[in-house]
Amino acid sequence: MSTVTLTIDGRTVTVPKGTTVYHAARQLGIEIPVFCYHDRMPPLGACRMCFVQVEKMPRLQTSCTLEAQEGMVVWTESAEVVEARRAILEFLLINHPLDCPICDKGGECPLQDNTFKYGPGASRFVEPKRHFPKAIRLSPVLTLDRERCILCWRCTRFGEVVAGDHALKGHDRGYRTHIDTPPVTLERPSKFIGNTIAICPVGALTSAVYRFRARPWDNRPTPGVCTHCGVGCATWVDARGGEVVRVRAREKPEVNDIWLCDLGFFGYDYTNHPERLKVPYVREGGVLREATWDEALERVARALVRAAPRVGALGGERLTVEEAYLLGRLFRSLGSNHLDARADSRFAPSPRDWAWGAGPFEALDTAPGVFLVGCDLSEDYPVLWLRLKRALDRGAVGLAVAPKRLEVDGYLRCAVVHGYGGEADVLYAVARLVAERKGSVPGLLREVDVDASCRRAGVPREAVEYLAQCLVAAGPVLFAVGRLSWDGPEPERTLAAVQTLRAVSGGDLWLLRGKGNAVGAVLAGLAPDTLPGLVPLEDPGARERLRRLWGFEPPQAPGLGTPAMLEAAAAGELRVLYVAGADPARDFPDGSLWQRARAGLELLVVTELFWTETARQADVVLPALSSFERPGTVVNLEGRPQRIAPSRMGPPGARADGDILQLLGERLGRPVDYGSVEAVWEELRRAAPGLELDRPYPFNRPQPEVDVRPARPLEAEEGLVVVPASPLFRKGEMSARCRGLPDLAGSPVVGVHAQDAAALGLMDGAEVEVDVGATSARVRVAVTDAVLPGHLLVPVGFPEFPRARWAASGRLLRAHLRVLEPVGRESR
Amino acid sequence: MGGAVRNRNGWQRVVVEGAAILKGMAVTLRHLFRPPVTVQYPEERPRIAGRFKGRHWLTLYADGTERCVGCELCVIVCPSQAIYVKAAENTPDHRVSRGERYAEDFQINMLRCIFCGFCEEACPTGAIVLGRDFELADYRREALIYTKSMLQEPYPGASGRDPNREV
Repeated sequence: MSTVTLTIDGRTVTVPKGTTVYHAARQLGIEIPVFCYHDRMPPLGACRMCFVQVEKMPRLQTSCTLEAQEGMVVWTESAEVVEARRAILEFLLINHPLDCPICDKGGECPLQDNTFKYGPGASRFVEPKRHFPKAIRLSPVLTLDRERCILCWRCTRFGEVVAGDHALKGHDRGYRTHIDTPPVTLERPSKFIGNTIAICPVGALTSAVYRFRARPWDNRPTPGVCTHCGVGCATWVDARGGEVVRVRAREKPEVNDIWLCDLGFFGYDYTNHPERLKVPYVREGGVLREATWDEALERVARALVRAAPRVGALGGERLTVEEAYLLGRLFRSLGSNHLDARADSRFAPSPRDWAWGAGPFEALDTAPGVFLVGCDLSEDYPVLWLRLKRALDRGAVGLAVAPKRLEVDGYLRCAVVHGYGGEADVLYAVARLVAERKGSVPGLLREVDVDASCRRAGVPREAVEYLAQCLVAAGPVLFAVGRLSWDGPEPERTLAAVQTLRAVSGGDLWLLRGKGNAVGAVLAGLAPDTLPGLVPLEDPGARERLRRLWGFEPPQAPGLGTPAMLEAAAAGELRVLYVAGADPARDFPDGSLWQRARAGLELLVVTELFWTETARQADVVLPALSSFERPGTVVNLEGRPQRIAPSRMGPPGARADGDILQLLGERLGRPVDYGSVEAVWEELRRAAPGLELDRPYPFNRPQPEVDVRPARPLEAEEGLVVVPASPLFRKGEMSARCRGLPDLAGSPVVGVHAQDAAALGLMDGAEVEVDVGATSARVRVAVTDAVLPGHLLVPVGFPEFPRARWAASGRLLRAHLRVLEPVGRESR
Repeated sequence: MGGAVRNRNGWQRVVVEGAAILKGMAVTLRHLFRPPVTVQYPEERPRIAGRFKGRHWLTLYADGTERCVGCELCVIVCPSQAIYVKAAENTPDHRVSRGERYAEDFQINMLRCIFCGFCEEACPTGAIVLGRDFELADYRREALIYTKSMLQEPYPGASGRDPNREV
């Protein structure tokens, strides 16, 4: 790469060609004040704060837009520059209200800091200032003060360049210019608006959730990791007086760069919530009553001893990886391999073949393209979408196959919406077409009839052909299989189809599923047929390793996965179930199975933060600590372990899952004495080689192979096919207890295609009663093209749609609509 | 000159240092015949200087709204970390101060306070003033953590600050 050499303030610096003067100065450690420039976005030159003097150039130049040239002589502190900065600041402050004492940005405000450093001491402006209404709520989490805005355009450009959601726009002209939300944001709240608060250089955009709760100097920041989804974004957690008041992004280029989604930004208040469980409960005479820890643990220990080895453990996404390891070790010491961290899924293949997780996220930065299979990236893993957006802007090809229109469709080269459960058909058809284009069709693929597959999936042949054409042009893309497919009716067949497509087109495979530490829990051993480190249960080397570490060998017989465990419990073969921070009663997609399992269990133990559905049905409820309250390590989708530190004390009476397991181990006569969390981590590292702090885990992916599986015959049934889609903003036990988030989630709206709406006589905004399985809910309808005709888009994660009571056992769910109000009462 | 002092002989020292002692004794003697400055507190009240810094008041505007906006500048400037403020937002139905923000909770730990008056200097609205009351003793430590209701002046101007003054 060619370089240029220039002189800044008398010092010489050599930088790559194309570097701006601002960055060249930064390289020398020379600070140039900026407002509009942000190094994650291209330069704009709007604020004029970064003026420098360049010899042989007639006027002052904005250093953020000025490309460094060979032999340039730049002065950043000349009298002219200093005077210009004073003048710019005087101008910026003309209409600024200077209400720093009541501004949440006060104390960490670049405008304040730069005014102190470079500004004039006083203003000559005596005329009345321009006034706007103060503190406008632009969204449930965002407050705008237009008087404070200096029109740097960072927030609007974030929506254009980084997030792609265009959530904020400039309105009006000249003196009246202001920031506002365009109509699209009113319809669908932005998922990344917290970032605009973070990058706003003044107090114009502030958090409505954090509003007036603390000043920067009150806060004690601790490093954390967001556990709302599986991306594992690094955060700073600000606590004041034992209360978590704010979460900010912590720079981590490999994972979240400097961004967070709004669930991460605003999803913290549950930890401060007064409804947190504070004492253990035990069931006596059919009702749960308060108990002491001794009593509750004694009851659990006795039941475990009596029932061992017919005991099982579920959950792990909310545990730290150390706690998951301790849980696995404890249950294996009882002779049981019945362990599964994947408590919210029917689909439980062996994790050594199909381990949930992704390669390094950084692979996105160089991949020629991404093929999303049933992966609603912006809803499930929003910060990963920001990385994908960056890749697409660089020229990577985005392709998608999903049963619903993705929010990010507009940025993809080709996105195919198919009938629910039809992704395998589409993928087989694409594989066949790709193979044809490449000139050699493997034997098995010849069975695939493209036209028949397209018909079954409800997709026009042209769309599939275009998809194949794009895929061939892109080369070996990265396949990301997401939750819409895992939850679909035939996940095995979908995976086989992805493998087939990979075999003809090449490319890596990501299996995106699981929140928080879900991947880490499986890696730590919470899986029925693998040992820590995804090693097969029968692997002699691993067994020997664990025997040395544990003093006993893990049991030989493979355990049961979540669905099998519940079946066994229903049949009375599993006596005790220990649920660690999971809510299968609400999340497991087959509620009737759960009900039978619950009835068959002798003892159901739950460690929880709140009275979840599972907790209400349990025999012993143990109050646990949230991820803000305990030290440990959390593993994200990449298998990257990251340390977290406690930012507040938990409610008195609650205990960390790890401590509960240690106490339980003592009572069971299997004491495991670890001095610290680090000691557990060190042992886990030895038990699971490859697991290293801050390094992605090297997942083994199966080699692509052509595996054509026959399609299941279509069922002819009445009603609309339910497409369950989990939006980012839900009303779960935790997010419903966070200020701002329930308002972002709003009330659930079902989506109907215009054809069906016409047949049913519905208008957008109509009120209907939706019957799914045994449940029924009154909701509003949105007429949409997000699903194909004959389908109903149902948001899950809302109390109106208790998914566990839908009782799906592999078939397509049907919904029946009864129109209550054909026209919306209020037009939207 | 220092050398000269050290080189004095015995008689010279007696004269020079004896003169100093006499000079000091003269001052003592003079004060012996002046009236005493001791105040027979609490029977007798001491005279308080004009700029004396005593207990704090949170002052009000003439219309009864609080001056304090809960900005916590007093908290950050306080050298003994004696102040705790928790802010909240004014609503149209519940307007406590001017502007958007008010102090929902305001506490001063009088055990920690060193009465330096920095809080009064830092206050952007002139809300906190140090008054003239110095009789702050109590038998219980908890009683010396002054809460907002104790700090607030009972009526506008009660602390002596002009309630019509802007800042």
